[in-house]
Amino acid sequence: MSANITEIAFQSTQINGMNVHILPTGKFKTTTIVTMIEQALSEETVTKTALLAMVMKRASARFPETKLLRAHLDFLYGAIFDVDVTKKGERQILQIYMEVPNEKYLSQEDSLLEQAIQFVGDMLVRPHVENGSFLEKYVAQEKETLRKRVESLIDDKMKYANQRVTEEMCKGEPFSLLVQGNVKDLPAITGQELYRYFKEITASNPINMFVVGDVKPQVVEQAISKHVSLERSDVQSLDISNASKQIANEREVIDRLDVNQAKLNIGCRTNITYKDDDYPALLMYNGVLGGFPHSKLFVNVREKESLAYYAVSRLESHKGIMMIMSGIEVNKYQRAVEIIKQQMESMSQGNISEEEMSQTKATLSNQFRELLDSARGMIEFTYNGLVSGRKRQLDELLRGIETATIEDIKNVAAKVEIDTIYLLRDKKGEA
Amino acid sequence: MQTTRFEQVNETVYNETLPNGLQVYLVPKQGFSKTYAVFTTKYGSIDSHFRTRAGEEINVPDGIAHFLEHKMFEKKDRDVMHEFSKNGASCNAFTSFNRTAYLFSCTDKLDDNLNLLLDYVQDPYFTDASVEKEKGIIGQEITMYDDNPDWKVYMNLLKAMYKDYPINIEIAGTIETISHITKEYLYQCYETFYHPANMVLLVVGSFDPESIMQLIRQNQSGKEFPPTPQITRLFPTEQPEPAQAKIEANLTVGLPKCMIGIKERELGLTKEALLKRELTTKLLLDIAFGTSSAIYERLYDSELITESFDFDYSSEKDYAYTILGGDTPDPERLVQTIQTEIEQLKQKGIDQDDFERAKRKKIGNFLRSLNSVEFIANQFTSFKFNDNDLFSVVPTLESITREDVEKRLNEHFVIEQMAVSIVRSASPQE
Repeated sequence: MSANITEIAFQSTQINGMNVHILPTGKFKTTTIVTMIEQALSEETVTKTALLAMVMKRASARFPETKLLRAHLDFLYGAIFDVDVTKKGERQILQIYMEVPNEKYLSQEDSLLEQAIQFVGDMLVRPHVENGSFLEKYVAQEKETLRKRVESLIDDKMKYANQRVTEEMCKGEPFSLLVQGNVKDLPAITGQELYRYFKEITASNPINMFVVGDVKPQVVEQAISKHVSLERSDVQSLDISNASKQIANEREVIDRLDVNQAKLNIGCRTNITYKDDDYPALLMYNGVLGGFPHSKLFVNVREKESLAYYAVSRLESHKGIMMIMSGIEVNKYQRAVEIIKQQMESMSQGNISEEEMSQTKATLSNQFRELLDSARGMIEFTYNGLVSGRKRQLDELLRGIETATIEDIKNVAAKVEIDTIYLLRDKKGEA
Repeated sequence: MQTTRFEQVNETVYNETLPNGLQVYLVPKQGFSKTYAVFTTKYGSIDSHFRTRAGEEINVPDGIAHFLEHKMFEKKDRDVMHEFSKNGASCNAFTSFNRTAYLFSCTDKLDDNLNLLLDYVQDPYFTDASVEKEKGIIGQEITMYDDNPDWKVYMNLLKAMYKDYPINIEIAGTIETISHITKEYLYQCYETFYHPANMVLLVVGSFDPESIMQLIRQNQSGKEFPPTPQITRLFPTEQPEPAQAKIEANLTVGLPKCMIGIKERELGLTKEALLKRELTTKLLLDIAFGTSSAIYERLYDSELITESFDFDYSSEKDYAYTILGGDTPDPERLVQTIQTEIEQLKQKGIDQDDFERAKRKKIGNFLRSLNSVEFIANQFTSFKFNDNDLFSVVPTLESITREDVEKRLNEHFVIEQMAVSIVRSASPQE
């Protein structure tokens, strides 16, 4: 066996005003290329960015019809291509994802890598435009698709509850926005306006491009300079402040919908984000409380009381929010909240066993080391360092986890506050 | 230990059948940090009517295979999940129609974790009290699925397609059926289906195959097992046609969900023939309904489908079916349009360029999935249970001709074999 890599080490350089990060590795049978365009999350642009992602992937100058574009991707041995938006704290990231097989494994003469980079360049530099506008046909269709996507949020009750509690607890903060945008903004957006916006963000917003695979960096760099010839001026680093508000009292919000199982979500402010020194201790806090099957929530809500099938806590590290989620019978609401609060209280008391510490350290470290086997995972980890303004090495983070003490976790617990207790319940029973 | 080399995809598989009948497969992955192990028994939700070791014919409550899976984690003095946590491993399990799999992934202490996996799955411990307690947890799992419209539309479609074959039964059962589960039933199922000769162990990832095989041999030779059982599963005879043409349900959804199923008439294929039919059908589906097909474009342009539109073909010896569909504003019109499109495609036949492109796409997608140890681990065993090799997918794909696909088009896409499942909100305002 070859020696295992233990660090995620991209080689970074600047090409055509973009930050390019390349990681050569023989581990994978494909090459992954991910381009991230960063935008401040705001009411004004959130829907435009989401719609842009969908319109971009419909066509390019070289493939002016969607069917031709997709046929070309199939021809590149089923290259995976997608444009999507994600939320990282109060940022909205437009992400162009491309993955092609390495020609090493195919009886293929020409370079799939170069063709893939050319394709990404088509998206960023050579879109399909008529009279200074994206094609109205595609814009109209994708408005409809986006509207359906937002409306189908209600299909997945776990996601729906999660978005509803986020809206309620972060009212007035950009983070409350749904990353797919707002249906009411759609009618006003034209193909022309969308194209103007595309030009604006590709010219001046931060762009990071990542390439992972069995590649030679100079070959990748040459292909990028040739095919992704963006003219970028006045590249701004976005000044994004992380809104945080003082909590006077915890709030309770109850929604009613035709459901069998009630969803209990407790939104907490941790007042710690990715860039902070006590971030590894926050990971430990979340791990001991609800990150794993050995965690307090799983053991006490599920195993001891059989109240739920799942009872977990999850972090949004850029915003500094922790979400506790469980699916329960509606008449167990008070009991479930009571047990969850008891568990949080015992965290504050430092009531954590040596076994809970060692289990959480081991499982967390395992989770982070598993990133090394996924191109996407490594890209995500590195990008988190870039957007947060604190580049952490994997080793450094693993050390932080390893050396965290119960005292450190108590200090984190002192900062964690319950903001909103949310219940999605059925329509029966008293109002 | 046998070695099979798959040159084209640069993978090697090591395997051995141990004296107790357990089949072991090892797939080392160069340079990976993680190892993934899956211990699978050929026993799933459909195996609810069988003969016990004593030869007695029994019917067990629906959902018992899944219930048993949950109960395997609890032992007299410890919880297995916590043991894995101590080693940093994450463990899980799942039950499908025809198998139950126990798995973990780790980046450290592989030896300990592997012994733990083998030991806990081979050491059942059930009490009346713990069986009762689990009913609350699984009850909530069932309720969660009841609220899931994607699951509902899928399970309902199986109910529409299959009249008697137990694939039409919920994997987790219902709150009513699980109320009848007892520890005696659990032991009976365990003893019938968890014999090593009915199981496969697969390890994928970062390790030395010699020493891992030695560890497994040692672990197994230290345990006693009864003689290899003759497993007799009793299945009803299923009619070739769908049980009903259409099934509907109401749940709160953004847009209605509509799925079309095509039930396979001819069953009993095994080995290469089964694999070839599966891959040919998947090629056909991609040529007909893939995102670069003319049909997809027309359906999308007319706003009859959304990006959620998808399709798949499930292929087993005793049941096989295609499922296609997704969210749609007008389920009835979608079904009708798809049926018309199918008839037109049959008239036109399969285009050579479309065929070549679909084949390239499938080969590339397969290579991509080999990046994932999870994919290999989960797929490998289901291929094995049908006496096939995951790594022969590429050569089999290469052997398929346009004529094969065209033949499948005419034999599989038959309107009489179709059933439809729809889920929509009770009132349109919701």
